Amino acid sequence: MMQKFSRLGLFLFLSFVLMAIFSAQLSPYDPWMRFEPYLHPGQEHLLGTNDMGQDILSELIYGSRVSLIVGFGAALMATFIGTIIGLLAGYFRGTTDEILMGITDIFLMIPQIPLIIVIASFLRPSFWLVALLMGSLWWTSTARVVRSKALQVRETGFVQASRALGFSDRHIIFTDVLPNIFHVIMPKFLLSIASAMIAEASISFLGLGDPTMKSWGMMINFAFTRGGFINGYWWWYLTPGLCITLFVLCVVLMGFTWEEEEQATLRLE
Amino acid sequence: MSLAAKKVSRYIIAIIIIFSLNFVIPRAMPGDPLTNLLGEDVILTDSSVTTLRSEMGLDRSFSQQYLDYWRSILKLDLGYSFHRHSPVSDIIFTRMKWTLLLALPSLLLGGVLGTVLGALAGWRCENRSQKMKTAFFLGVYCTPPYFLCLLALYLFSFKFALFPLKGFYDTGSALDIAHHLFLPILVMTLFSLSRNYMIMRGSILQEKSSLYATYARAKGLYDAEILFRHVFKNALLPIITLLAMDFGFILSGALFVEIVFSMDGMGNLIYDALLSRDYPVLQGSFLIITLMVVSANLLADILYSRLDPRVRWH
Repeated sequence: MMQKFSRLGLFLFLSFVLMAIFSAQLSPYDPWMRFEPYLHPGQEHLLGTNDMGQDILSELIYGSRVSLIVGFGAALMATFIGTIIGLLAGYFRGTTDEILMGITDIFLMIPQIPLIIVIASFLRPSFWLVALLMGSLWWTSTARVVRSKALQVRETGFVQASRALGFSDRHIIFTDVLPNIFHVIMPKFLLSIASAMIAEASISFLGLGDPTMKSWGMMINFAFTRGGFINGYWWWYLTPGLCITLFVLCVVLMGFTWEEEEQATLRLE
Repeated sequence: MSLAAKKVSRYIIAIIIIFSLNFVIPRAMPGDPLTNLLGEDVILTDSSVTTLRSEMGLDRSFSQQYLDYWRSILKLDLGYSFHRHSPVSDIIFTRMKWTLLLALPSLLLGGVLGTVLGALAGWRCENRSQKMKTAFFLGVYCTPPYFLCLLALYLFSFKFALFPLKGFYDTGSALDIAHHLFLPILVMTLFSLSRNYMIMRGSILQEKSSLYATYARAKGLYDAEILFRHVFKNALLPIITLLAMDFGFILSGALFVEIVFSMDGMGNLIYDALLSRDYPVLQGSFLIITLMVVSANLLADILYSRLDPRVRWH
């Protein structure tokens, strides 16, 4: 059933990415330009304006850039760290495995959002910092999956053969093991984008985001703290929330479908 | 080293590292460590700065400070909040009760409902109504929890006025508290339910095609019997570890729910501390939450070894 949705998900995903890349061309106004405040959605402003009179649609389009960069950046970093740690642990086994998996278990137990709150409260809020912190905390599940797959792959014939031929460990890891693990890394990468985006939205909601960069989470934060919610200006807080949900939904759909297909082919074998 | 000793030592190391992190953060961050330890809205005279500095031990060596830090932790002394004029541990303990009142029922309800509904969805994945359910929970899964809260609050409390807008209680009677807690717990349950649902569904899909399930069917057992007496047990195992890890997640989620519903629990405590840069409270809360998450993990490990005969601690 997921296949049908996954095609829709891919389509939505690509349109969001295009929106982020061409936000300057697509948005009708500059997101910082001021018009009449609290305008209802209408012809001039398709999604209305906020308390500063800024056009919500333009804010949304520009916000996609910030939100997507944070999500992708954090996920890339997390996947990179997780893959390296998982590969090393799974390939070398023994003491290396013990130590690396011990570290993974410890990281798994750190309550991530509270830690990010504590660190971010000391530093000036910037969205690079948030992406960096998330990237360095979110790699644990990828590391575990990669490790268990690497443990399997290292016992296969072609890896044994390369070892017998005297190739170095580094060569074997990167040319034999890694390409055969790639298909489990990709769904994990997509799912980390999803959790990073939700976390970014949550952290921005607390006001720890970058006030000079409007992400979708920041827009909800503004709407909540500046009374858009109490006064029922639904176009102000509903649209960024829906954008987050939609984007996360299409990423998760693609990730889940990928994982399920993976398991289906495993069963066939 | 036996497995049990290894596991326990891992937990102890985790706690030592996280607590040390908590010691290092305020001292490593830019700015005066005294401000970082006391909070930013504390205004001090020069003479009180010197006395406080020696009282907090900031004039001593780094290693001495570290030892002092552990000594005070062991005495359950988490510092003093000048912003709130009371010891941090007192504030946290009174607030934590309320947060747990919100988080624990949601965790339990979400765990039980999520696994059962997820199991049914995975078992009958061709069924139309199951597909609809999966789509619904997938939507919940992808929504930031606080956004879900905002929607629920707007619809049920604001538009239809079915539930109170804010707080834990007005009069303090049990019924009143339940009335206030209903909507937040509902949202939190949905949130934890959707996570368990998706994982249980995947787990069942995997177990379904295994040989013992086929054999049970060949024996002529009823469909529901195969699911709940054979497959469910095996698929449930990953959920136990997951519930423990989820505990941290639910707790973080509860923080946001409290902020939206203006409830005086840990969430608003952290939020207020954040706005006034009340660092002792922030750090104390982080420590307590960590401690709870780590113990939940330990509990899950013990439970797991009891339930799964293949994993035994020696």
